[in-house]
Amino acid sequence: MQTQESRARPRNKQRRQSPRKRRKIVAFYMFIAPWLIGFVVLGITPLVLGFLTSLTNYDGLNLPTVKFLGLRNYARAFTDSDVTYSFGRTLVWAALNLPVWLGLSFALALILNQNIKGRGIFRTLFYLPSIVPPVSAVWIWKTFLDQNYGLLNYILSLFQPGTAIPWLSTYALQGLTFIAVWTGLGAGMVVFLAGLQGIPSELVEAARVDGANAWHIFRHVTLPLMTPIIFYQLVMALIGSFQQFVIPLLLTTSVGSGSTGLPVVPPRSVYLYMNHVYRQIFGLQKFGYGTALLWLLFVVVMVLTLVVFRTERYWVYSEAAIEEEV
Amino acid sequence: MAPARRSVLRKTVRPLSLSKGAIPMAHLFSYGTLILVTLLISLPVIWLVITSLKQETEYLAWPITILPEVAQWDNYVKVFTMGGFSYFNVAANTFFLATTNTILTLITSSMAGFAFSRFDVPGRDKLFMIVIALLIVPPIVTIIPQFIVFARLHLTNTYWPWILWGLTASPLHIFLFRQFFASFPRELEDAAEVDGCGPFRTFWQIFLPNAKPALATSFIFNFGAVWGDYFNPRIFLTDAQTTLAVKLSRAYADPVGNRFVTVTLAASVVYLLPLVVLFFLGQRHILKGVVTSGLRR
Repeated sequence: MQTQESRARPRNKQRRQSPRKRRKIVAFYMFIAPWLIGFVVLGITPLVLGFLTSLTNYDGLNLPTVKFLGLRNYARAFTDSDVTYSFGRTLVWAALNLPVWLGLSFALALILNQNIKGRGIFRTLFYLPSIVPPVSAVWIWKTFLDQNYGLLNYILSLFQPGTAIPWLSTYALQGLTFIAVWTGLGAGMVVFLAGLQGIPSELVEAARVDGANAWHIFRHVTLPLMTPIIFYQLVMALIGSFQQFVIPLLLTTSVGSGSTGLPVVPPRSVYLYMNHVYRQIFGLQKFGYGTALLWLLFVVVMVLTLVVFRTERYWVYSEAAIEEEV
Repeated sequence: MAPARRSVLRKTVRPLSLSKGAIPMAHLFSYGTLILVTLLISLPVIWLVITSLKQETEYLAWPITILPEVAQWDNYVKVFTMGGFSYFNVAANTFFLATTNTILTLITSSMAGFAFSRFDVPGRDKLFMIVIALLIVPPIVTIIPQFIVFARLHLTNTYWPWILWGLTASPLHIFLFRQFFASFPRELEDAAEVDGCGPFRTFWQIFLPNAKPALATSFIFNFGAVWGDYFNPRIFLTDAQTTLAVKLSRAYADPVGNRFVTVTLAASVVYLLPLVVLFFLGQRHILKGVVTSGLRR
């Protein structure tokens, strides 16, 4: 094959000159072939088909009589009061979850970046919840937060007798935040630690020699140098927030009886956007409308990512910008 | 001149010695915070284990008691006998899916990661940009159309989706391996080439055996993800083929329908154990930050 090709195009100097390079190209594509084929077959194809589905009233069974609706599914999303509601809940949840998670995992990383005894043990301990699967995490927290039998309300009632906060229904948003922060803490901390270890110790030492105290060092050396990491974490967590639906779903599933009926509706306070989508597709078989909602989510995630990237230069430290100033 | 210089020296020395004196105080505060956070993190887990050792009536008694009167180790036997399904069989299904998918993912992703880091080929960086972009695309956006396609091809209610996902690599793991392989010295593959090693042998016999930290991290992450996954088994598999995550999302119940939360919690503990063991086997690689190596300057 190879020799034939090169003979067929003898004038193509570049190709004839470097059979070694051509072999490299062939090898390169052989190595990435599994991913590339998968990207086309399991990535692009479903995306295109999903988009086509979103333009129809497909319900899983009506393929012969399916109707083309144009953008009507998309238009409908804007008049669906549940879409507005669940989108709002997702925003509220992200606004509650992100600062707590970001602040706590950063603080832990700062503490554990010091040269103190037993920091390895603490790192392991704080990371452990990250390996707990959602189903177990929900059982752990349902038992802990239960209105009547949970330990948290019991401890609170020692200080304030009669405390019975419904963490899993009325206050499910706070309950969900507990679970999400608990699960994400370790992973966030590890990324922050890696960033902190990348800060040159000469900088900190120089600041100290100049008489800076711990707060000044944090405010003017550590924090500016950490902004790229904070930025990265923020984008990823925001994207993650919009995809959350398994934990709210499980909060209800395990409350319900042992029936196998598929979709359940989480408490209203944690009826997130993806829960609404899930219900449209798997509960009501509205594949067309559901995939349209998915595409809207996709657009929102992309726009958010772009916005955060756009504002990056105003607050994210970069070495190039500093060099220009100097 | 001389006294002035001395005073400068003293000034630079004093804050240093002061901060040294202040360290124990700061550490005291640090330890206080660390112990508080440890308590907050572990309390729910301790409560899970304690509750899993209670009798169901004890669990439902009010006001609550902290410790069970007699630890019900029997609950851990009931995990395997109650609930109307064979815990062993479901665990075997879960284990099969997790290992098959993980091994395939590791092979295909490390291959792609190797190619993206070590082959200087035109178009490589553009293709890699696609990999990065795919990290941001919410998986749910492709999974649901995939479900529709798989359903039409009669691949739902089989384990084929997990095999196909493994065979087609994962952007996250490609990224991880690419970062890891990028740190290998150039001479390594040059020497291999001089010795007549083709790219596949270089990969298989030189790069892969030296990628144990990346392999361990990848394995633990992917195995944990499949083992813990609730959504995909829920929509792709029937109740007879499903995994522990789906089974344990509902409480154990006796034939009459009375729920046994304590036994379910015991089952949850058993379900968690393999992941904890796996984590401790590979934790030094994970916490050393193979994953975050790309973020280091």
